[in-house]
Amino acid sequence: MHIIEVDSISKKYALSANKGAVSLKNGIKSLFTKEEKEIFWAVNDVSFTLNRGDKLGIVGSNGAGKSTLLKILSKITQPTSGQIHVKGKVASLLEVGTGFHPELTGRENIFLNGAILGMSKQEIKSQFDEIVDFAGEQIARFLDTPVKRYSSGMYVRLGFAISAHLNPEILIVDEVLAVGDADFQKKSLGKMREVASNDKTILFVSHNLTAVQNLCNKTLHLEKGRVNQFGETGDVLTNYMAALQTNRLEQSYDSFDSAPGSQQIRLKRASLIPELIEGQNYLDIRNNIKIDLEFWNTEPNQQLNVSLHLFASTGECIFNVGTPTGNFGVGLIQASLEIPGHFLNDGSYLISFMVVKDKSIVLFNFEEVFNFEIADFREDTTWYGKWPGYVRPSFTFPIRQLSDSI
Amino acid sequence: MNLVHRKIKEIGSDWELLLILAKRDISVRYKQTILGLSWAVVKPVATMLVFLFAYKQVAKVQDISGYPIQLVIFSGILFWNYFANSLQAISNSILVNSNLISKVYFPRLIICFSSIAVSLVDFLVGFIVYIILALSLHQSLSTYIILLPLALLITTLIALGFGLIFASFSVKYRDVQQIVPLIVQYGFFATPIVYTTKQLSEKSWFTLYNVLNPLAGIVEMFRTCLIDNYDLLTSQNIMISIAASILVFILGIIVFDKREDSFVDYL
Repeated sequence: MHIIEVDSISKKYALSANKGAVSLKNGIKSLFTKEEKEIFWAVNDVSFTLNRGDKLGIVGSNGAGKSTLLKILSKITQPTSGQIHVKGKVASLLEVGTGFHPELTGRENIFLNGAILGMSKQEIKSQFDEIVDFAGEQIARFLDTPVKRYSSGMYVRLGFAISAHLNPEILIVDEVLAVGDADFQKKSLGKMREVASNDKTILFVSHNLTAVQNLCNKTLHLEKGRVNQFGETGDVLTNYMAALQTNRLEQSYDSFDSAPGSQQIRLKRASLIPELIEGQNYLDIRNNIKIDLEFWNTEPNQQLNVSLHLFASTGECIFNVGTPTGNFGVGLIQASLEIPGHFLNDGSYLISFMVVKDKSIVLFNFEEVFNFEIADFREDTTWYGKWPGYVRPSFTFPIRQLSDSI
Repeated sequence: MNLVHRKIKEIGSDWELLLILAKRDISVRYKQTILGLSWAVVKPVATMLVFLFAYKQVAKVQDISGYPIQLVIFSGILFWNYFANSLQAISNSILVNSNLISKVYFPRLIICFSSIAVSLVDFLVGFIVYIILALSLHQSLSTYIILLPLALLITTLIALGFGLIFASFSVKYRDVQQIVPLIVQYGFFATPIVYTTKQLSEKSWFTLYNVLNPLAGIVEMFRTCLIDNYDLLTSQNIMISIAASILVFILGIIVFDKREDSFVDYL
């Protein structure tokens, strides 16, 4: 019994100079002239089927068509071609607090938002206390205050609390879990798990692969609007992570002339090799990472050292390490660094390095030499939210009972 | 006809959402203003006073039709405000609620229908003011007052028809937003709002005028329902207005249905 059948749906957008709304003048003009429009397929020939109770994770890089696919599935926009058959009541959560009106009170917004998401007045009434309870004590106190006076945290908590009490057969969720403070995230992921454990069908877009791994039995990997892979979550995520990590992990140049760098310094080879554990096919937080840099130097008798920076994808520098300074002649020079496992947290990172002369003059800065991704790894945990922090050390942190009296 | 039936059923299935959106518009409207509901009184009364001043003090018009001039003007304004406010609200409803439309699916017509609510409340308040005004002028009310809901329905249909067409086009062509206020501004004078059809009825082009501006007949319907012994409404007026409002409504539904699937792509 298929509850959702998606049959080769595609969505085309015409990229013209003026996107979106057009002026009447241009509209009339385009009736008479044949403008050459660039066509963009946001979703291209996507097919899959889900059974009742399936939880589908949808993954893919930004611009892969995930959001467009969700919009088509929730009937917000129509596909250019293809067909969808859905059996059952669908609720879609593409953002938290859809349709909240800032002038209305928390109480009024619960009824408004609930109705917009497809709940009947009776359903909202019967769940009202639970919703307020789930949203937290603070919301309960400000229930009759306009939501424009709420903090953004309160706003999100109230919005999620309403969504969490929806009771459709099919739930479409877009990344709403990545909201709120850590405490609330735990609560909402807990709620998602609770929902996931019954026979509801869920379609869930997320960048949080740990959450997808633990909540979803099936995964759809989209790439440039097309299905890259659809199947069991374990298989799809393994390939997805492996594909993500092929990004610039090694680069080498055959000749001095074609290599990047300055007159004096040119890059010959740079490689980043994770020491994978047997059976593992992508890098996670446990693995050591070996970085090898080789570069040519054309000047004799130079006092040189290499300084390496590691940046988070958000731009902050996580660390800067330098080699000792040594005396080098013309030829090939190598520097190696090993970043130990259980040091960096999961996330995307960038590495740049510079060659420095006489401890102060930068001869050349090789920017973004590596761009890599570290996956999460957890054992014995029931919490799937994003682990906070840039570093993820596994310090020994013992705990014991000191006495049995108070 | 099938389409209209289907669309109305679509709205009926989500009746609760329509009501709550209407409630939202009404409570937001009156929360944001200090005078609240009294604006619904102040606006038509002020407009009436301005025209009374213009007629009596400036233009020295003593009598425009033989009926109490205050009631003629006020009933016209009552009609016009309801029509014009509804038309503007419906025309803007898709753009104003773009955040909803791009995030959740529900029958799109609901947002257009619910946007009439505020004008309807204003109308009801204005209607009470009218009764007070008529009684204070020692005028009795017309027995046709029981037919007022029918006149209101005809107005609603024609406002919806035009509004849906404008709403459909304004999503892609934002210029349309500029056109509606112009229509409202010129329409006020092109329609017998502050005058009656009596002054026009002897003209050779009167029938053509009624066809081109079916609103003229509807204003006279309102006056027949509101002013005692008002006899300017002809059966020709009634037929043209009813036919026009139904046709425009159906046309609006057809246009809206053709374009609603592409709204999200332009928002």
